[in-house]
Amino acid sequence: MHSKIDEYWIEHLMRRAGFGSTPDELKYYKNLGFEASVDELTSPEKVKNDKLDDILSKQDFDFTDMGDAKRWWIYRMSYSRRPLEEKMALFWHGHFATSNAKVGNPFLMYQQNELFRRNGLGDFQQMLVEVSKDPAMIIWLDNQQNRKGKPNENYAREIMELFTMGIGNYTEADIKEAARAFTGWAAPSTYYFNKKQHDDGEKTFLGQKGNFNGEDICKILADKPATAKYISKKLIAFLSHDDPDEATVERISDVYLSNNRSIRAVTKAILLDKTFRSSKAYHGKIKSPVELVVGTVKSLQVQKLDGDLSALMARMGQNLFEPPNVKGWDGGMAWIATDTMMERFNYAARISTQKFDTADGYINPTKLAKNYNVTNASEMVDNLLAALVDGDVPANTRKKLLAYVSSDLSDQDHGHHAKKMDAASNTSDHDKHSNGKDASNIADHDKHSNGKDALNIADHDKHSNGKDAPNIIASAPGAKQPFGPPSKQGPPSPTGKNLDVKMRGLIHLIMTLPSYQLS
Amino acid sequence: MGISRRDFLKGGIGLYASLSVGDIFSLAAQAAPRPSTSKILVVVQLAGGNDGLNMVVPYADDAYYKARPTIGIKQKDVLQLNQAVGLHNGMPELSDLFKKGKLAVLQGVGYPEPSRSHFRSIEIWQTAEPRKVKDTGWLGRYLDLTAPAKSDPSETFFPAINVDPILPKTLSAQKVIVPSVSNVADFTFKADPKNEQDRLAQIDAFNGIYKDFKLDRKYVDQLRLVGMDTTSASDYLNKIVQNYKSTANYPNDGFGKGLKFIAQMIVGGVNCKIYNITLGGFDTHTNEGRNQDQLLRRLSTGLSAFQQDLEAHNKDSDVVVMTFSEFGRRVAENGGRGTDHGTAAPMLVLGSGIKGGVIGDHPSLTSLEDGDLKYKMDFRTVYATILDRWLAADSKAVLGDKFDQIPLFV
Repeated sequence: MHSKIDEYWIEHLMRRAGFGSTPDELKYYKNLGFEASVDELTSPEKVKNDKLDDILSKQDFDFTDMGDAKRWWIYRMSYSRRPLEEKMALFWHGHFATSNAKVGNPFLMYQQNELFRRNGLGDFQQMLVEVSKDPAMIIWLDNQQNRKGKPNENYAREIMELFTMGIGNYTEADIKEAARAFTGWAAPSTYYFNKKQHDDGEKTFLGQKGNFNGEDICKILADKPATAKYISKKLIAFLSHDDPDEATVERISDVYLSNNRSIRAVTKAILLDKTFRSSKAYHGKIKSPVELVVGTVKSLQVQKLDGDLSALMARMGQNLFEPPNVKGWDGGMAWIATDTMMERFNYAARISTQKFDTADGYINPTKLAKNYNVTNASEMVDNLLAALVDGDVPANTRKKLLAYVSSDLSDQDHGHHAKKMDAASNTSDHDKHSNGKDASNIADHDKHSNGKDALNIADHDKHSNGKDAPNIIASAPGAKQPFGPPSKQGPPSPTGKNLDVKMRGLIHLIMTLPSYQLS
Repeated sequence: MGISRRDFLKGGIGLYASLSVGDIFSLAAQAAPRPSTSKILVVVQLAGGNDGLNMVVPYADDAYYKARPTIGIKQKDVLQLNQAVGLHNGMPELSDLFKKGKLAVLQGVGYPEPSRSHFRSIEIWQTAEPRKVKDTGWLGRYLDLTAPAKSDPSETFFPAINVDPILPKTLSAQKVIVPSVSNVADFTFKADPKNEQDRLAQIDAFNGIYKDFKLDRKYVDQLRLVGMDTTSASDYLNKIVQNYKSTANYPNDGFGKGLKFIAQMIVGGVNCKIYNITLGGFDTHTNEGRNQDQLLRRLSTGLSAFQQDLEAHNKDSDVVVMTFSEFGRRVAENGGRGTDHGTAAPMLVLGSGIKGGVIGDHPSLTSLEDGDLKYKMDFRTVYATILDRWLAADSKAVLGDKFDQIPLFV
């Protein structure tokens, strides 16, 4: 037995520990319940991923090509059954932010990405050592040129300022000494220890003396309480909520220190922490471009990915494998400026228009309407709002969307060519989309689906239990709109050509809402 | 014409479709009354830590060549500015502007107890606060202080325009929102092109929803404001850009295109006083020779095309360009024919309305602190001079302190 509250928070969990979910995935995790879902998500190695492997094997990826490497990762994020594994790879990519703009070698970037996937939930110390020996990182922060007697300080500085403890926990002298310890760590193509260029003399680093090498430096740094706090704080902000308070950071960094730096333990603690299921966390973060694009693919069940999704993400401010600098992406309001906002609007327009033109692999409005059990205009608005933004909009927004959907196309002529729509005569036009390939494609995707109902509206009814739902829901209009039997008074649903146009327009408008930008 | 400024702003998207180009221009002029000064500042951020010693080369000092045996700019290549320093050989255009008195080179600019962290030091330059972390940028505070009293937040339509993908902290403000526009071609609200009537219905719905979207979630208010600014700015800027013609030869890269876009807005009469643009890639830990050479060439050709463009449109006396970077680099080169993070460095100021020349003394190359130059000029004196003398603002209110002025204006 799982309560309605559990179900409600599972959608939140999937946005944070993954990239949102398809209706079928949602059903699966709701059945599992919140805590069991967290267990499964944090143990990705136990989950079979054969569907993804199958999809990937049909693509001929060339990892020496940056475009292919990006496409590969977007496929993984969109179709993996181990969403947290991909989410953590994205976290570490932003943390150890390395850019191909300087590395200039897509294959090394791909290898680094696999390193993040391999160690994403492991021992941070192991991660740090492997990253320090990673060829892409060695090129990115110039350790290639860090030689005995002629140290290059770039890596030594950033490993402390950005990768472990944060600014204020070390001196310029520590940087110079750490740089000596990393001398000779080179990477012409794979990691290589150049003994001749290594300075094996004694160093004084953070108050300790010894003939330290790079591994020693990593070990010292990984065990520092300052590192525990720095990593915990960043992970809380990534998975749960921005600007966590001191007590929460303390709680999570204790987990890091008492579990041998296990990121799995830290991640689990964050997802199960009381602050994760709070009004502060719920819809309290701005979706990154990757979350926005992949999340849309999932919730609209797009089966065929365009090659330029990575370019769209880049224009919204997140270019995979090319973060702006070694600090990675700032997140929060930094994602939102007039031009990146316009790109989000443009993406909404694109998904809701062109994508419907191709029957194969993409959804179509008629099919969607059927999936969402739409029999009148209110249901069209409410069910899509529920699916795309948890119904989390002001009441007057719902009203305006309803007015848009209910307005007749022929009434809206603004002096342009007036064209009377005859719904009946257009019926056959859209009918051809409503069966055939699309349907089987969608059902095909998810192994938990029995194929016959892509989305069960009843399952979606998280709002109906107003009294023990978290109080944040009470303000959402959805709370007052349980999906019961179709309302008899509601305006009729658009039909024919009208339905097609209005479904597109409605999805477009919902995707431009402030609520849709929230995770 | 019967459209007030308020109608103009409230119209949101779609309004401009029915207006002629002439209407747009008079609207632009009307959109906000010109403040007491029509002067414009363009801030160019050289991101990554530009090596000042190889941009403004102390070619007469042996210590320079001793510290930089492989990457030093040879004396014969230097474009001499005076008996002591000269520009990097990749900057002939800026050297010409120097000769015409339109370029000022400010030497040894920095601040006490310098940070060598990219992120902390850039924040110090952007906020003008070396002692503690501050939320607002120096120009953001200027915008807040000069923003007209208003009831409608959209009144501050174009307080400043950022041409980079990410808004720099320089322009973080409390009251005003600064729009970012990096590619005007993609900056339009699109909808299904096959259904024009429905497109207009969507735009109506969009404007209606955004007008009073209230929800008790973090970020919602900001998202709403940026969303409204986005759509209303889009049509306006697209019209402005359509009517611009230029013969100036901008370099065909992101920086050149960004400068051209700024010139388009200035020439088109956009009422905006601050523009921000970034040229990145200056973190030259290795192979500095080739990398910095390319960047300085882009800087020099880009800025001279911009100046030429403004001169051709009689706008040059209204505009000043200022460059800065988070820090200069260490005096001695490292083992990879590059340089590590350092401290003080020169700033460049360009414009027909300034007093050109070399300003200030070059820091000593032998009396160093931790291997780095000791700064000679506090960057806040430069900001104070520009605020007081160029933007006719109150520098003390913006910077929180009174700073000396430098002789940058006649």
